[in-house]
Amino acid sequence: MGDKADVWQGTLALMVLRTLDTLGPLHGYGIARRIEQTSENLLSVNYGTLYPALLKLEQEGYIASEWGLSGNKRKAKYYKLTRAGRKQLEREIQGWGQATAIVARFLTPKEQSS
Amino acid sequence: MRKLRAWFLRLGGLFGKERQERELAEEFESHLQMHIEDNLRRGMTAEEARRDALIKLGGLESAKERYRDRRGLPGMETLLQDIRYGARMLRKNPGFTAVAVLTLALGIGANTAIFSLLDSVVMRFLPVEKPEQLVQLTRRGPEPGHVGVPSFTNPIWEQVRDQQDVFSGTLAFGAQQFDLAQGGEAHYAKGLWVSGDFFRTLGVHAAAGRLINVADDQRGCSGVAVLSYSFWQDHFGGAASALGSAISLDNHTYPIIGVAAPGFYGLEVGTKFDVALPFCATVIFDGARPRLDHRSWWWLSILGRVKPGISSAQLRARLELISPRVFAATVPPNWDVTGQKNYQKWVLTSAPVSTGTSGLRRQFERPLQILMGVVGIVLLIACANIAGLMLARAATRQREMAVRRAVGASRQRLIRQLLTECLLLSTAGALLGILFARWGSTLLVHFISTAREQVYLDLSFDWRVLGFTAAIAIITAVLFGVLPAFRSTRVSLTSAMKGSLAVDPERHARFRPRRWIVAAQVALSLVLLVGAGLFLRSFVKLVTLDIGFDRANVLMMHTEARTAGLQPEKWMATWDEIDRRLSLLPGVLSVSRSLFTPVSGYEWNQYVHADSPNPLTGEASLVYMNAVTPGYFRTLRIPLLAGRDFNVQDTATSTKVAIVNQTTARKHYHDMNPLGRYIRLEEDQGKLGAPIQIVGVVRDSKYESLREEDYACAYFPVTQAPGFGGGPNFLIRTSVRPSAVLSLVQSTVVGVNKSISIQFDTLARQVDDSLVEERVLATLSGFFAGLALLLVMVGLYGAISYMVTLRQTELGVRMALGAAPGSILRLVLRDVVIILVAGVAVGTGITLLSVQLLQSLLFGLAARDMLTLALAAAVLSLVAFIAGYIPARRAARVDPLVALRYE
Repeated sequence: MGDKADVWQGTLALMVLRTLDTLGPLHGYGIARRIEQTSENLLSVNYGTLYPALLKLEQEGYIASEWGLSGNKRKAKYYKLTRAGRKQLEREIQGWGQATAIVARFLTPKEQSS
Repeated sequence: MRKLRAWFLRLGGLFGKERQERELAEEFESHLQMHIEDNLRRGMTAEEARRDALIKLGGLESAKERYRDRRGLPGMETLLQDIRYGARMLRKNPGFTAVAVLTLALGIGANTAIFSLLDSVVMRFLPVEKPEQLVQLTRRGPEPGHVGVPSFTNPIWEQVRDQQDVFSGTLAFGAQQFDLAQGGEAHYAKGLWVSGDFFRTLGVHAAAGRLINVADDQRGCSGVAVLSYSFWQDHFGGAASALGSAISLDNHTYPIIGVAAPGFYGLEVGTKFDVALPFCATVIFDGARPRLDHRSWWWLSILGRVKPGISSAQLRARLELISPRVFAATVPPNWDVTGQKNYQKWVLTSAPVSTGTSGLRRQFERPLQILMGVVGIVLLIACANIAGLMLARAATRQREMAVRRAVGASRQRLIRQLLTECLLLSTAGALLGILFARWGSTLLVHFISTAREQVYLDLSFDWRVLGFTAAIAIITAVLFGVLPAFRSTRVSLTSAMKGSLAVDPERHARFRPRRWIVAAQVALSLVLLVGAGLFLRSFVKLVTLDIGFDRANVLMMHTEARTAGLQPEKWMATWDEIDRRLSLLPGVLSVSRSLFTPVSGYEWNQYVHADSPNPLTGEASLVYMNAVTPGYFRTLRIPLLAGRDFNVQDTATSTKVAIVNQTTARKHYHDMNPLGRYIRLEEDQGKLGAPIQIVGVVRDSKYESLREEDYACAYFPVTQAPGFGGGPNFLIRTSVRPSAVLSLVQSTVVGVNKSISIQFDTLARQVDDSLVEERVLATLSGFFAGLALLLVMVGLYGAISYMVTLRQTELGVRMALGAAPGSILRLVLRDVVIILVAGVAVGTGITLLSVQLLQSLLFGLAARDMLTLALAAAVLSLVAFIAGYIPARRAARVDPLVALRYE
């Protein structure tokens, strides 16, 4: 795991929060599939890294978890966004927007000159 | 905040493992099942579906492991792991663990005990509110070099109290002993005279009833008493009924109005007060010349609480400003003109007093500091022993280390593991050591208490002591752990896995650090042995000193008639009657009385003018005095060298006579015959008293302390000594043990007058008690030096045994090739001798550099006493040689076949 993983960890948290915001309470498998689908399978999630990320968000109080039943009556752990999580999501979206804008400004002129 | 919250949750994640594991398994299980179902729906076979789900998860176990890392705190987890593993290793080696923990407990315990004593004697704050604001007033002459004296008269105190503007409160106090018994054997209580504001200014609260206040301290009061909490517990069982009842002090009774808070022992460290009375009640005790208006009775101390915001410069300036007024208003009328003029130039000064006042501190600060150094060295030696043991153990754990390295543990990880083990050992040692220390410091306090001075110290462990112990435990672990940890993790994998010590290319190098450790131990213990030797020899010199009187079999009885309501006119006749009856008792050889007893710490001295060709003046003419009855010298077996003893013809009205000692004769009369000549005592400020004729010369004997030299002494008959008679000391020489006649003596006194108060002691014990510092130093430094010697013996024995084991094959080969046992013995002993020579040489150097610190505590011997040094080195060498010889001989006796087959 190098620098790439750090970016991945950061964006993974954002994607998780966003997914829970749009879809409401969801289990880990569902979150993973949703991220895969949204990225149109460009991002292949290593499902194993998702769970520590969920735990971290839970420890920080952005999401909460409880046991429930899935569509086909299977027992599963459901995660949902907390109020703090929603605020954090707003902050992260804003931050992400700024970051991409800055990076975009760096990239655009170079493309023109070459 | 979020970070902190997460951290706490992760800390919590260290516990409740089982439930968490179950949930984790369930969550992953449901994840896998859902994934498999999806895969099946997409048309995979059952086999493929499961495989794909597991691959996507990244392996079930490693996914779980990654999850677990996030759940707990990984660092903490390894620490717990290390602790568990360490504890298991220590349990597996109970012998090693027991020796190490016990050694550490002794070392750490001794350090904690001495430190807690040092803490309570020197460092601890007074048990009052904001002690750092308190200062004690002193008075000094106008020249800068003058040293402040902390005693004051009541008139000065009243002036200071009314004139000062720098203190938010002031208080004064004085101490006095009171007899609780009404006649017969005395039971003393420590009394504290307090000004009305005393308790309020200190911020001390009542545990029951109320405390003395300003209203209680008005002239003409009848007096009230406040008890200390411990006195209330000991004498009244803490009963509420004590309040309102009366307490008898020197035959005066006072109502008890309250009890002070439990922790408040007074302001002097080392003692505790029993009962406090207001100043105004002194009148009841003082009779004709009460101390309240006495302008040269220096009986009280003054403390002030500095107002917030007053700097020390302001404080000094304000006190200097009020000084002339204070002293001008309180000039002692009986002083001569120059004395009075000087008196008015005095200046008030102040000194911080947050840790209280203490005679005990003056007496024991140095000895305690030295003992602190001694136990510090003992701990170092103990550490060295354990480091040696660890090194030896490291050899046996080579394989374990190699295996752990081989399966991927980093060296740092192993070092951390080993250091955790050391910390475990030292923590166990520290815990046990604290137990030892509790017991040891209580013992020490008994040790420094004497018959007359019961020492009381608050020994409860405060944060400072506990912090000290914790720091010591950590430092200890580092000291004995670091070197072995680095050494034992430096393993050569191949040789260690082969399990052979012989092919270890570093085996000689392995022994080298151990040799230097033992040499260092030898050096340090030499320092301790020399120190102990010096203290022991000084003590022996003091004990066997010719003190000029015979201390054995003398019963001393202090009597007190002033509190017994006996008329002063009847005193002399009463004492004479007791004297007469006592001398008739069986077992009593002779009886006499004196104002002071020898080496009691009390003194009476005056400047003396002798009628000799060139008389001494000033300090040189000071003579120490005593008033005695005929038979005093016979009772103490002080030889009369010339002239006569006092006799019944020396009465109040006959010629004034004196007996002087040799030193007086030599100094004042320059070895002329002093008999028949006259001395005159210098009274207040230069006036000379009536001439006194010298009628006898006695041999020198110790007056005040055993350390004194050349005290000029003069003795007067009790009948001619002014102010003498209310409380004489009887000296009774017995033909049997003094304790055997004690009850007979007591009933005899009661037979004459049952209200006279009496207190017994023996002269031998009084002399012993005057040597308490020296005894403490000699005993404790001797004990610790012995301990150090034992540790060195064990260390050396262990080191040489270990070396012999390492070289077993080599020695076997040598013997097989024809080496005689003698040459093997020499080979091994060469190492012992090298260690010893190096250790003693370094130790001698350290000793010579540091021992000068002890000089002021020694008696009759130089700190760099070569005989002591030589003796210490000899004892150490002998003991160390024996410790090394045993394993060496074993090596020489080993069967070469056995040694070779060992491989």
